[in-house]
Amino acid sequence: MQIRFKFALLSFSAPALLAACFGNNNAATAPSAPSPVLNTMAVMVDSGPAAATGQINHAYVTVKVCSPGSQTLCAYIDHVLLDTGSWGLRLVGSVLAANGIALNAEHDAQNQTIEECVTFGGGQTWGPVALADISMAGEVAAGVPVQIMDDSAAGAPPPATCGANGTLINDVSGFGANGVLGIGVFAQDCGAACVAAATPLPIYFGCGGAGVCTAENVALAAQVTNPIAMFAADNNGVIINLPNPQNANGDATLSGEITFGIATQADNALPLTGLTLLAADANGEFSATYNGGTTALPALLDSATDSYAFDDPSIAVCTAGDFIGYYCPVVSPQSLFAVNTGAGANGAVSTVQFAVADPNALVVGASALMNLGGGGGSTSFTWGMPFFYGRKIFIGIDQRSGGGFTGPYYAY
Amino acid sequence: MLCVRTVSAALGGNSTSIIADSLEMQGSVHAYSSPQFEIQEITTESGVRVREFVGRDGLVFAVAWSGPAEPNLPQLLGVHFALYHQARLAQAPPGLHRALRLALPDLVIESGGHMRAYRGRAYLPMHLPAGASTADLQ
Repeated sequence: MQIRFKFALLSFSAPALLAACFGNNNAATAPSAPSPVLNTMAVMVDSGPAAATGQINHAYVTVKVCSPGSQTLCAYIDHVLLDTGSWGLRLVGSVLAANGIALNAEHDAQNQTIEECVTFGGGQTWGPVALADISMAGEVAAGVPVQIMDDSAAGAPPPATCGANGTLINDVSGFGANGVLGIGVFAQDCGAACVAAATPLPIYFGCGGAGVCTAENVALAAQVTNPIAMFAADNNGVIINLPNPQNANGDATLSGEITFGIATQADNALPLTGLTLLAADANGEFSATYNGGTTALPALLDSATDSYAFDDPSIAVCTAGDFIGYYCPVVSPQSLFAVNTGAGANGAVSTVQFAVADPNALVVGASALMNLGGGGGSTSFTWGMPFFYGRKIFIGIDQRSGGGFTGPYYAY
Repeated sequence: MLCVRTVSAALGGNSTSIIADSLEMQGSVHAYSSPQFEIQEITTESGVRVREFVGRDGLVFAVAWSGPAEPNLPQLLGVHFALYHQARLAQAPPGLHRALRLALPDLVIESGGHMRAYRGRAYLPMHLPAGASTADLQ
């Protein structure tokens, strides 16, 4: 763990040095042109933060978090989960505190703190919304509303509805990360549904001095926001580029990169040929039909889902070991396919071959595993982390354009 | 949405429990009929939709939900919520993005989705009306 941590720091500082070099060169040779901002940073799949090792198919980045307006009250938070299936940055409160970062909760018009209860697949998160300046590579987003996961119960307790549907996930071990960076196809996490509802959704809450929290509407600008959408430039989407694991039964670590902006700089152009671009709908989804079936399932590319998540009662499910509930095909690997179709007028069609394999052959200590399949339920199809291995994936943000295309879309 | 009242369970309960659900959700109720069952649909103005499938015997044999927030599952699943909760806690490894599928001989629960689009369903396979397909239970 110690070695891995040092490596992560090293990989972060190297691009910074390169940026300094490039900046000087540009200044010397082309003083009239603005220097391109360094827009690429490292992505690492490894076993997770020290408090939660043993993670599989978790892609992490390091994010620089500063108190608003400060150049010095800053910390690099490592092992933040890269998530194309959510929107906005959420950081575990005790991790921020351990790094000396104190962020103040936002307040509503009644001077109550704004807090949020967000449902993820595995449980709900709870904590205040606060502003922070967020830097990644050479990009800066100032005054970003982020959620602080209140794992130390420093603020108002969650209302009865928060966590009632399952479990409350607020700490590093529950997250398997020090936070989650939602960089999917939208700018805000809830959007219009939380702005003007006559009965506010139980997502944003105003919490008074007595710790009583009431669901309330929150303007778009105050909602937890995808930091990429708030960069000064390169703010129309991201490109995630990860190699394939070398070992079919898992690599200890795997490193790739994320590039900010699409068709905004020389290094983030859309390819002229061979690109599949799937428009997404108002839910951030396209559709998929699985293995020749006729049902069009809502689908998305979700880097924070560890597996191909879909339902096929004909594939055996693991009943023992570390992967109970995942697929353990009798003939392993088992080849499968699904057909993706872009939403609405886009209608792009793409057939994707993939495979699921028995994960119990996992190399000890491995964290990047291709061909992992899990039961996702029969109401959706999720292309999780295995889909990202060996692909260059473009995520276009809603209402942002570049290279002739406007989000929301997924492309590969 | 606070669940402080004691109400009859929806799944496995009778159709009067739908009134309790609609009151709690502050939504409007619409009914649709098929030869095998009736669908009571509760939709809130912010787009949370719950459908309760009622057999000719009056039993709610399935519920399905979708929308920008999950409905109150303890209320909707009634006595079956305990098994759902147990299955959630038993998920290994736990994770942020884990859909859940619990399949028992007499109870199937599927729950998943993501911000802006949560969806799921629960049904009692042994009470599925003859001629009804699980594909109808959306």
